[in-house]
Amino acid sequence: MSPMGSPDASEVRAEAGARPTGAGGVSARMPARAAQPAIAYPVKQPFTWWLRRRGYLLYMLREFTPVGIAAWMILFMVEIARMRQGVAGYQPLGGPLFVVISIVCLALALWHSYTFLSLAGLIMRIPVGDRTVSPRLIVQTMFGLLAVVTALIAGLLIWGGA
Amino acid sequence: MTTQDSTDGEARHAPKPGPNRVLGLIWAGFVSAAVVGALIVPAHILIQGVLGPLGVPSFDRRYGTFARALSNPLVKIYLLVLFACSFYMLAMRVWYVVRELGVPSKLGLGLFSFGLGAAGTVVAGYLLFTGP
Repeated sequence: MSPMGSPDASEVRAEAGARPTGAGGVSARMPARAAQPAIAYPVKQPFTWWLRRRGYLLYMLREFTPVGIAAWMILFMVEIARMRQGVAGYQPLGGPLFVVISIVCLALALWHSYTFLSLAGLIMRIPVGDRTVSPRLIVQTMFGLLAVVTALIAGLLIWGGA
Repeated sequence: MTTQDSTDGEARHAPKPGPNRVLGLIWAGFVSAAVVGALIVPAHILIQGVLGPLGVPSFDRRYGTFARALSNPLVKIYLLVLFACSFYMLAMRVWYVVRELGVPSKLGLGLFSFGLGAAGTVVAGYLLFTGP
C-alpha cells in the first residue's frame, strides 16, 4: 500500500492477476454482460426535491407562475361570459376574495416578469459593430419597457372605464 | 446516416440527425408568449383585478364601457392573443414541470397540456367573437 493509502500499480496488477477467470478469459468479478453496451439508469428524484434548497423552491415557483396567470385569465373569461346576460344581469367580479386572488396572481405575474426579463440579457445578443450590447443594458431596457407598457395599458384600461 | 445502428446483431434506435425543428418552434412560441405575459398581463391584473374592485374606474366595471370596448374587433383580437399566450405558457410550463416532478410520460403530457391550452383559447375565442 502506498503512503497515501491508495494501492499502487504493482498491487493492482497483482490483485488483477489473482482474480479467478471464467469462460473466455473474463474476470469473475466483472460479468460477461459488462462487455455489452452500458445500460443507462435514469436518476430518480424524490417528488419533493424542490424543497431542498431555496433556489430550487424559487425555480419551481417561477415554473408555476403561469398557473396564476391562467387562473386570472379564466376569471376574466367568466366576466366576459357574464356579459351575455345583458345590462341587467351583468355583474363584474369583485369582493374581497376576488381582490385577494388577484393580488396573489399579480405577485406570480410579477415574479414571471422579473425572472423572464432578467434572462433577456443572457438570451439576446445584439451586435453593434465588433461588440455586442451589454447584457445589463438589455435587462434595464426590458424593465423600462415593462414600466412603459404597464403605464400605457393601465391608462387605456382606466380611460376605457371613465 | 441511418436511423438504426447495429451492434452485436441488436438493432438500436439512434437520434435523428439535425436540429429538432418542431421543438424549436414550440420553444420560439413559448418565448413570444412569455414576453407578452411578462410585459402586458401584470397591468391587466393590477387594474382589473385589484384597483378596479377598489374603486378605480376600469373598462370592465360597467356593462356599457365593457360592451363598447369588446365591440371593437381590434380589442377582441388583442384579448384573444392575450388569452392564447397565457394558456400556451401554462401548457409549456406544465409539460416540463410535471416531468421534473417525476411523471415519465412525454407525449401524453404534451398532448394533455397543449390540448387544455388549445381548448381554453377556443373557448375564449368563442366568448369574444359571439358575445354582444
